[in-house]
Amino acid sequence: MLRFIAADLRRQWAGALAILLLVALATALGVVVTLQERALRLGSARAADAFDLVVGAPGSETQLVLSSVFLQAAPLPLLPGTVLAGLIADPRVTWAAPVGFGDFIEGYPIVGTTPVLVEGMGGLAQGRGFARLGEAVIGANVGMRLGDHFHPQHGRVGEPGGTHTEITYHVVGRLAPTGTPWDRAVLVPIETVWLAHHHDEADAAGAAATNPFLRNAHADAAHEGDAQEAEPLNDEAHSGETHGSETHGSETHGSETHGSETLEGEAGQPDALDAPIRADSLTDPHAPGVPAIVVKPRSIADAYKLRQAYRTDHTWAVFPGEVLTRLYGTLGDVRLVLSLVASGAQALVGAAILLVVTIHVVQRRRQIGALRALGAPRLAIFAIVWGEVALIAAGGLAAGFALGYGGALALSSAFSTASGVSLPVAFVPGDLARLAGLVLAAAIVASLPAVLAYRQSPAAALRG
Amino acid sequence: MPPDTPRSDAPRSGAPRFLRLRAVEQRFPGLDMPALAIAALDIAAGEQVAVMGPSGSGKTTLINLLTGLERVGQGSLIWGDTDLATLSEGARDRWRAANVGLVMQDFHLFPGLSALENVLLPQRLARLVLPAGAQAEAGRLLARVGIERQGQAIETMSRGQMQRVAVARALAVRPAIIVADEPTASLDADSGAAVAQLLLELAGESGATLLVATHDAALVARLPRVLRLESGRLKD
Ligand SMILES: Nc1ncnc2c1ncn2[C@@H]1O[C@H](COP(=O)(O)OP(=O)(O)O)[C@@H](O)[C@H]1O
Ligand SMILES: [Mg+2]
Repeated sequence: MLRFIAADLRRQWAGALAILLLVALATALGVVVTLQERALRLGSARAADAFDLVVGAPGSETQLVLSSVFLQAAPLPLLPGTVLAGLIADPRVTWAAPVGFGDFIEGYPIVGTTPVLVEGMGGLAQGRGFARLGEAVIGANVGMRLGDHFHPQHGRVGEPGGTHTEITYHVVGRLAPTGTPWDRAVLVPIETVWLAHHHDEADAAGAAATNPFLRNAHADAAHEGDAQEAEPLNDEAHSGETHGSETHGSETHGSETHGSETLEGEAGQPDALDAPIRADSLTDPHAPGVPAIVVKPRSIADAYKLRQAYRTDHTWAVFPGEVLTRLYGTLGDVRLVLSLVASGAQALVGAAILLVVTIHVVQRRRQIGALRALGAPRLAIFAIVWGEVALIAAGGLAAGFALGYGGALALSSAFSTASGVSLPVAFVPGDLARLAGLVLAAAIVASLPAVLAYRQSPAAALRG
Repeated sequence: MPPDTPRSDAPRSGAPRFLRLRAVEQRFPGLDMPALAIAALDIAAGEQVAVMGPSGSGKTTLINLLTGLERVGQGSLIWGDTDLATLSEGARDRWRAANVGLVMQDFHLFPGLSALENVLLPQRLARLVLPAGAQAEAGRLLARVGIERQGQAIETMSRGQMQRVAVARALAVRPAIIVADEPTASLDADSGAAVAQLLLELAGESGATLLVATHDAALVARLPRVLRLESGRLKD
């Protein structure tokens, strides 16, 4: 019987292959949608897990999370400088680090932060953390090497922007892989980011004032006038810094800014950034503002308390995981539509195949009648037709799962390369159940033409 | 199956009467007259019988009833001690598989399989495991009908060769009854004569009862008993 099925399929290999491919493609479509949706959910949840609590200024929670967790630049309002100092001093906090968005280098975002974040992200794989203003730690997937030097670039890839030739970073360490967009980030001291932007504004204003912070206020005004060049994020950052500095210009920042001023005058002299970073510049209540602060609470209870405490008029605390969950909730309809489209395609393919197979059985009624006349039991006829259809369908399903898995892997790796979020493509036990369900459905569907063949009268079939 | 084991349900010889058919009538919807109406027909075991008649006279209808392909609606049709009228479709399938070798006008061989595989196919489909000796018997029969390349794909054979393979297939289970419906109608004269010769010889060798429906006069002339059908009725 198996030999007969094999011979039959061999003889009709083109048709069988076409149907198999159809089943495979329809299955693959569904598998890719399922796997990719799951990968996106898992991948982003993992990225969000890197930070328990994020504090920003009141505004869009989604943007706050997208910016701090996914490093997608968005115009964020700034937090007052005192907030970071308050969090660092808070006994409920293990560590808290600012996330300041600076420039880019070859498409990698430069993030201004503090050494505690380097540890908080899982530590270093290579080299050491930044200890001086001109030092940088790169994410696991950043295409640079330890020892490299680079100038930060304004704006994002593809956008017009200049290069801060006056600032040179020196790569001193590489983070261990985290599977998050931070694998594509370049971490530098937040003070240097502040510096770069004061300096920037000084350029824009074309003025030389003794108090850099006051001067920045003018610069900012001028800057806002022709906002076409810099990206919005930077604009926001400028106004925030200006806000902080206008009211509380400090000696520390003044001197640092002077350092970069010097740089501007004597390009190529790296000495100004050769200063050590200083923890007290952050705890200084007059420190410039930052768009976001990531916080590691001591306990879950502390996390809830902190979130409560930092939901004020000036600050807003969120659990990134929760925001993402809510975001997925609103995306639920899209998911539903996608899975409906996939199921619809599968149902259509299933129906088309049933039609083809039924027509095929009707066309073969003489052959089937002859088999019966020669003594084949009806059950054998049923088994042959059912076996052939089920074999093609099961082969198609298996190929479809393989194809879908491969497709999802390819999509994920493309997405990871572009965004840094690693999307874990994984089957769960439920998928096995789904495959079993589909095979079962195929088995049931295959029995339709088989019953048709089974019930056919051999005498009538032989008469043609 | 050892060649000498007698069949309990199909005595090969000795029984003076093998087939007993009484008052059988077969009607088809849309026809006023019955397609077949036979009051009585008896055939002895080992007899060789021609069923003659013009096209549409009911030859195939009779054969379908005799082989259990069609249910006997009215009357009785008893082979040995098996009354086909009382058997279910599945039981008739089993009875046919064990007792009837069938040769049809259109060969009904299966492309993609070799000559040998075609001969063995009915047995493979009827049971899960080939009986011991089936392969050797199939080889012997193929050699007997003059097919030398037994592994040759069936679709590459000539029509005469194909019908000879079909004859070998019909004999493979050593059936008590061999039924051929127009076995020579789609062959040229020489191939037809060769197939007719083989059918007669092999039926004689195995002692099987042979029934041949045909309007091939040359074939009819070689059979000792001739039944004439006209409009579904036997003529004497
Ligand atoms: N399934 C059927 N439905 C209606 N009429 C049928 C059917 N099968 C056979 N017939 C009719 O029965 C008669 C006998 O047919 P058949 O036995 O095939 O004749 P033969 O084999 O001698 O040519 C014909 O008139 C044919 O048209
Ligand atoms: Mg006929």
